[in-house]
Amino acid sequence: MRRVTKVYKGNVYALEDVTVDIERGEFTFLVGPSGSGKSTFIKLLIKEEEPTGGQIYIADTNINQMRKWKVPYLRRKIGCVFQDFKLLPHKTVYQNVAYAMEVTGKSHRVAEQQVPEVLKLVGLGHKLDAFPDELSGGEQQRVAIARAFINRPPILLADEPTGNVDPSLAEGVVRLLERINAAGTTVIMATHDKEIVNAFRKRVIALENGRIIRDQDRGVYGYE
Amino acid sequence: MNKIGYFVSETWVSLRKNLILAVAAIAVVAVSLGILGLVVMGWNMFSNMIKNAERKVGEVDVYLSDLTTEEERAAIEAFLVGIPEVDPATVVYKDKETALREFKERFKEQPELWEYIDENPLPNSYELMTKDPKDVGVVVGVISNEATYRERIEDIKSASSAIEKLENIFDKFRQIGIIGVIALAIIAILLVSVTIQVAIFARRKEIGIMKLVGATNWFIRWPFIMEGVSEGLVGSLLAILVALAVKVWILDKLIENLQFLRLSLSPGLLPVLIPCMIIGGIVIGALGSTYALGRFLEV
Repeated sequence: MRRVTKVYKGNVYALEDVTVDIERGEFTFLVGPSGSGKSTFIKLLIKEEEPTGGQIYIADTNINQMRKWKVPYLRRKIGCVFQDFKLLPHKTVYQNVAYAMEVTGKSHRVAEQQVPEVLKLVGLGHKLDAFPDELSGGEQQRVAIARAFINRPPILLADEPTGNVDPSLAEGVVRLLERINAAGTTVIMATHDKEIVNAFRKRVIALENGRIIRDQDRGVYGYE
Repeated sequence: MNKIGYFVSETWVSLRKNLILAVAAIAVVAVSLGILGLVVMGWNMFSNMIKNAERKVGEVDVYLSDLTTEEERAAIEAFLVGIPEVDPATVVYKDKETALREFKERFKEQPELWEYIDENPLPNSYELMTKDPKDVGVVVGVISNEATYRERIEDIKSASSAIEKLENIFDKFRQIGIIGVIALAIIAILLVSVTIQVAIFARRKEIGIMKLVGATNWFIRWPFIMEGVSEGLVGSLLAILVALAVKVWILDKLIENLQFLRLSLSPGLLPVLIPCMIIGGIVIGALGSTYALGRFLEV
């Protein structure tokens, strides 16, 4: 990210002159209070929002200049996990994950092989046919992670993934992201969960009022 | 439990709302294509009637006396070809024998009309067409006022003004029909697009998730286009049923009972009309859903 600025309507600066490099294979926490620009940071990376100024490079490609029809292919290379899970309530766990594969044009047979495997990986191999509202928050977030990971993206973005998860289960969710990271995927996790950040000791980028105020390896949350 | 009941009732309400809309869209597609079918069939019947009529609109027949000599005939031909309002390529000489043969051919089912004729009562004649059907009166006037040949020209006949008037009326009718079909088609397109908008709105969460996991725009659009196209298709099938019913129960009866009008439907019409109506329905559905997608699904 190079000198990126995002201004929302009414001169609200969500991000201001942000420059940061995140290397392949890193696990990075993006921390900061509500409204500090964490979500905007994530949205810019998947082109859900366009920057007002500055350039964003992913794998040496400037995504500002990316043609519209290429955006879906960019998103297939970036798995996303959100605070509210974004699961489809009328589809089973299996269908929710398989959906992400079908969307990219993979056959049912490939899905039948890989979906149970990935769900086993996240510890839900026994709940393929459950519906999202039959699961706990932690389990739903595992389904969302399985969906984000099913296409083996090189990058995984997580926006407050533990926000709606019982604190006792939150650590498990992040452990899962850590395992995915260990397999080579770059993970960027936006959070304001102090305990988690302090427990995992990863790189921490701290945002406040749209500016980076701190960037340290093996950092802590740092706000009191 | 309360929550489930709420969701069930919400879903039912939204489904019923959409169902009523879909039925309305299908009905308007059916009405617009049905009217198109009826106008086309009616137009075909009428133009066949005019084609089968004794004289075409714009046609003038000039009957010659049997006393006309060859030189006089040549002079008359030159004179007819020279009239500015006459299309020279259409001036045709028809002798008595040809005229009788054609007469027998036309009334071959009523041989009593010609069986007992021993001498050919039909005259030699010229047939010609005016460049513009409106000029028939002018041409008839020019020919009958030409003093040189008055002795040799026995009679001048042109298409009856009734047919001409009918044709004018039918032309208006056809224009109104076409305008009506276009207006209804536009309404049908808009109604289809409303049903698709409702469907998009109902599935907006799913669409958002599809985008997030990298679905291409076409992958997202297809189901909606299919929905619109199937509405158009069902509408066109209904319209075809209506058109066929009108043909079997009304037009065929008219043709049978009003034989003297020489009404008929061209046999090649329905095999062309039916596929055209189906294509029309598909186009209406596709346009309606494309319009809705263009406006309400920013991708």
